[in-house]
Amino acid sequence: MAILDELMRLPGAMAAFEFRGSGELLEHRIAHPDRINPATLDLLAHMCSANMSIAAMQTRGWEQVTAMQGFYPVQEFTLVGFDWSVVVSALRRERCKQAGQSKLPPFTGIVLANESADYEAVFALLERSEPAA
Amino acid sequence: MSIVTDLLARPGVVAAGEYAYRGDRFSYRGALSDEHARMASVMCRATTMGANMEGAMLDSIHPGNGLHPPRGWLVRGPVHTVCVMANVFCLLDHTQGSVNDIIGFMRQNLGDVPYGLI
Repeated sequence: MAILDELMRLPGAMAAFEFRGSGELLEHRIAHPDRINPATLDLLAHMCSANMSIAAMQTRGWEQVTAMQGFYPVQEFTLVGFDWSVVVSALRRERCKQAGQSKLPPFTGIVLANESADYEAVFALLERSEPAA
Repeated sequence: MSIVTDLLARPGVVAAGEYAYRGDRFSYRGALSDEHARMASVMCRATTMGANMEGAMLDSIHPGNGLHPPRGWLVRGPVHTVCVMANVFCLLDHTQGSVNDIIGFMRQNLGDVPYGLI
């Protein structure tokens, strides 16, 4: 997948991955197999899928309760860990939903080192309208 | 100044607050009602607790991964990003401010909060 290879070129990228809405790991790229492996990514994908669902529920309710806008739909969930961060995006899925498509693409995620993380660059790549072929 | 006051002075920050890890005490500043700030505090505390449990689980299965202990999390919508680090939350209009700026500031000021407080 081109988007995974592009994510791996971002500063601090350690792994890039795609996963189903139910959390199962699909495609992945790993820069440091001694530090992160597919089993780690699979559990991480399940964690991120769960947090995405919770965030979607909370932001949807928040907008209705407060009348504040711009929180929903959730585009990315980010976990900032001690040394690494993981950013996962639902934006491709949301665009397909808005286009009325019933078959949705997977979530996309990246694991990156905090010291060189550029979150804005990650968001810009994940939110780009037309990923490069 | 407190970190909440400092956060509110940064570009794009709509509101910021602080919640107790245990109990229901909270404080906040910015464009929220008391009731909505209370709700935000509860949601942020619940997600922080969940993220820490998940990080501990991941660490027990794959020790030494760099995600544990979690320092914070973000939820980004089309206009607003919820930024949480330790027990401080911040609602950012990211069309007016920078997530990198907010996370950098929060990590600098809250990155060393002892994990045992959670």
